[in-house]
Amino acid sequence: MAANPDTPLFNRTRQAREAEVMLNKLIDEFDDNPASMHYFYDLFRRLFIQGEKVAHPPGAQIGITCIQAPEELIRAVGAIPIRLCNGAYHYDQIGADLMPAKSCSLVKATLGRLHDHEQGVPRVGKLEAIINPSTCDQKKKAGVMMEELGYQVHDLEFPNVKESEPARIYWQRTVRELAVTLQRLTGRRVTRKNLNTAMARTRRAQMAFRALHNLRRKAPSLILGKDVFLITNAYFFDDLERWTSAVEALVAELKQRQQNGFNAAQKKAPRILFTGSPPVFPNLKLPLLIEEAGGVVVADETCSANRMLYDLPAVDEWRVNHMIDALADHYLKPCTCPIFTRNDDRRRRLLDLARDFAADGVVYQAFSGCQVYEMEQRSVARTLQEAGIPMLYVETDYSPDDMGQLSTRIEAFLESIKTRKRQARTQRA
Amino acid sequence: MIRSARWVDRIDLQRFRFWVQLTAFVLLVYGGYLALDLGSQLPIFSCGYNREGRAGVCYLLPLQHQLARPWTQLFSFAGIGLLTGFATFLLWFIVLNKGWCGFICPLGTLQDWLTAIRKRLGIRYSLYGERTFNRLSWVKFVLLALLLLIPLGIGGGFWSHDWGAPFCQICPGRVILPLFTGDPEQLTVDFSSVGTTLLTGGGMFIAGLFIAGSFFKKRFFCFFCPMSALHYLIAKPALLKLKKEGAKCTKCGNCFNVCDMEIRAIADDIERTEIMTDDCTLCLKCVAACPEPGALKVEFARINIFEATEDGFLKRMNQGAPRDGSKP
Repeated sequence: MAANPDTPLFNRTRQAREAEVMLNKLIDEFDDNPASMHYFYDLFRRLFIQGEKVAHPPGAQIGITCIQAPEELIRAVGAIPIRLCNGAYHYDQIGADLMPAKSCSLVKATLGRLHDHEQGVPRVGKLEAIINPSTCDQKKKAGVMMEELGYQVHDLEFPNVKESEPARIYWQRTVRELAVTLQRLTGRRVTRKNLNTAMARTRRAQMAFRALHNLRRKAPSLILGKDVFLITNAYFFDDLERWTSAVEALVAELKQRQQNGFNAAQKKAPRILFTGSPPVFPNLKLPLLIEEAGGVVVADETCSANRMLYDLPAVDEWRVNHMIDALADHYLKPCTCPIFTRNDDRRRRLLDLARDFAADGVVYQAFSGCQVYEMEQRSVARTLQEAGIPMLYVETDYSPDDMGQLSTRIEAFLESIKTRKRQARTQRA
Repeated sequence: MIRSARWVDRIDLQRFRFWVQLTAFVLLVYGGYLALDLGSQLPIFSCGYNREGRAGVCYLLPLQHQLARPWTQLFSFAGIGLLTGFATFLLWFIVLNKGWCGFICPLGTLQDWLTAIRKRLGIRYSLYGERTFNRLSWVKFVLLALLLLIPLGIGGGFWSHDWGAPFCQICPGRVILPLFTGDPEQLTVDFSSVGTTLLTGGGMFIAGLFIAGSFFKKRFFCFFCPMSALHYLIAKPALLKLKKEGAKCTKCGNCFNVCDMEIRAIADDIERTEIMTDDCTLCLKCVAACPEPGALKVEFARINIFEATEDGFLKRMNQGAPRDGSKP
């Protein structure tokens, strides 16, 4: 290990300590973690606490700042997409020098990590370019700041209306131009063959995710939400095939658990649907608090998990042009991001998930400064109220200071759900 | 039962459709040689001008002839023939609904074959786009109205019989389908009067347009088909149904993306449960391309016979991808 002289130093950095505290809680405070989760625990330990570099086959690494950057195109030209969205409070504070104080933690942390260049954790090495979809205002403006930090940034023009046909055409054109940019960047053409291979690889990963997702419908629960967030977070930077195989192994283990009648949570654990601002390691405090308090996160509607991996594209004629258009549709039409003018689809999706996963309540996380999530709170709350589903709205950021206060609120919320269920049972009886 | 339903949901729809269409085409275009006769009330373009080979006749031909009877006859004894004819047509139709278009109609099949040739040649398809689509959607209803009104006018003595069976004269089926039994007789313009010249000339022109159009645009002609319009008007009691469960739909647009007819409502309409629109041909490609379990399904007499599943979707997408040894 002498090859990495800064290792002993590294694990005493603030970033590493923050990650270690969170990871230890995620692992040690729960019994019966699935054996297949050790791949992911180990991965996060090595990358975030020991500062190891992510192992990837050779290829240009391309940063992406949102799920709307079509990863299949990046993989088709032999490059590796690295999602840069960061969850570290340490980087949030560094990023605060670059963004206004009241900005979203995630955007600040992403900038803060990029500020550390190749030392930024997780360490992925040199980024050839960053693809920055023009989604919310903060991410839009962060693009130029990344450029000032010395990165080559490609703004991906993303419409903020998704229902209209002009928006769809506009976005299809954007994605086609991205293909040209990537070709220029890597010197490799997007062909029918390599795009098909890339799509098949992503599809396999998505199907693995769906298998895991579907297993979470089961009551009693087979896996805790904190583990699933860790898994989908790993998708940001891990090698695709390694990640997929690890998830497939986990799915097999969970199926075994199901046969054995295993319960990952307490017997009457309230089933929680998580929505809003994305939990990104090490900021898994809200899912952690929910599950520490005896709840279980059974599903989510966030761009760090479900929204990133759930929807599958379909192609009618397998020619490059049609494949790219189909990919464009796939990255626009089902997206429930709050940056769009309307949020009907997001509310419908929440209702569908709540029903399908028999959720007892919804926890809505909004990062302070994330205006769009804050603004959608009322309409989402109303929709859920009409459906008789209780919701807890939590405005927070990456700072660990509010954990005590949040834990009280969450315990009260879970308790109220249990009371509701008890009352419903006695009424029925 | 559940086992077999699972198997059906994983079907390679494209291949299944190809064989059904081929069989139907051969039967309808050449069945006459085997003395097969399914009558003359078929809800598809099994062209009556294909005199030797036809195994049944498109209902639009006898319908226009019957409507052109003198009104004194039409509103007395001939009316009975008209009604029984329509009843027979209706009985045929309700079995498959617009599935006749997507699976049986020889003219529809021909368009799909032209599409297959284009695909082989590696040429991209063209689309109408939303604006043109909206502009074109009423054309088939106007054609339907004309094909009913012109013969009625003939019967009432307003026009001469030169305008008889007007739609058949301009239908590409009349010009093209007889060619399959080696009969080029319809490949002519009838200059005997102004009416026949205009109609048969138009027929030649439209036949050319049909071939060129459906080469570049999937199901080019179906947008204008008055039979399709007639189908839509009587679709309520049909047995084969395309159903959508809006709550399960993520609006991902896969169904719209693969739709030959560019029907946007299939993806965006989350209210209607019976989602077959006027342009739909019930080809069921949308169901095959849907990854949301149960969001789209096909029912026959209220029995679920085919529905969207993750499994089926995955199998079809892995299969549909080009087979050039590029398996991951």
